[in-house]
Amino acid sequence: MNMKPLSAKELEYIADSLSNEDLLIKQCTAGALSCTNPQITQVLMHQAQVHQSQYQALLNCLQQHQALAPTQPQG
Amino acid sequence: MYAQNQQFMPDEDLAYTVLADLKRVTREYGTAATESVCPSVRQQFTQLLNTTLAMQGELYTAMSQQNMYSAASPALRQEIDKQMKEYQQTQQKTNQFLQQKKSAQSQPSPQAWGYQPAPQWPSYAPQNMGHAGQQPHSSTGQHTPGQYM
Repeated sequence: MNMKPLSAKELEYIADSLSNEDLLIKQCTAGALSCTNPQITQVLMHQAQVHQSQYQALLNCLQQHQALAPTQPQG
Repeated sequence: MYAQNQQFMPDEDLAYTVLADLKRVTREYGTAATESVCPSVRQQFTQLLNTTLAMQGELYTAMSQQNMYSAASPALRQEIDKQMKEYQQTQQKTNQFLQQKKSAQSQPSPQAWGYQPAPQWPSYAPQNMGHAGQQPHSSTGQHTPGQYM
């Protein structure tokens, strides 16, 4: 896949998304543990795992762009 | 698990806080995808958008099945009629306008600069809930919540 260096904006979006996913992992887990309805518990439990993999995907995206990033500010 | 009376919040409130966040995050992924420069980042955000949207749908469906979410009341037939008529007129006027403009000047042919239309939506449709999509996954055939990856 065609890769370009991350823009400052993209980096901000990825960082914001990581914090959103982190919150959702915790929210889904807390919800699943305190919920008394079995169907909702099951959905939340599963979604907590999906958010974990989304978090990892965002981290991987950062890692893939590390090598392309300049170390000095560009004009 | 807490006993019912020790619960921090009622079930529907717990589920609703997650649902509200999924709605918010869906919007943010949409914005992030439209503002991405790098094609691989755009693709990543698009995929996250589709998956998050599917999860929001899944949770909403579960909540409505458990009577935790009352859907908005249906629009009246005469209201739909009114909007439909109005926008059929708009469509007609726009088409006339386009005809006039197009016949007034010669247009460049699309081939001139190698234009390729964007793919139609189903070619990048997310894995849907409840039935098998394009990707191979659990062969059991039973519904497990959320197969969107």
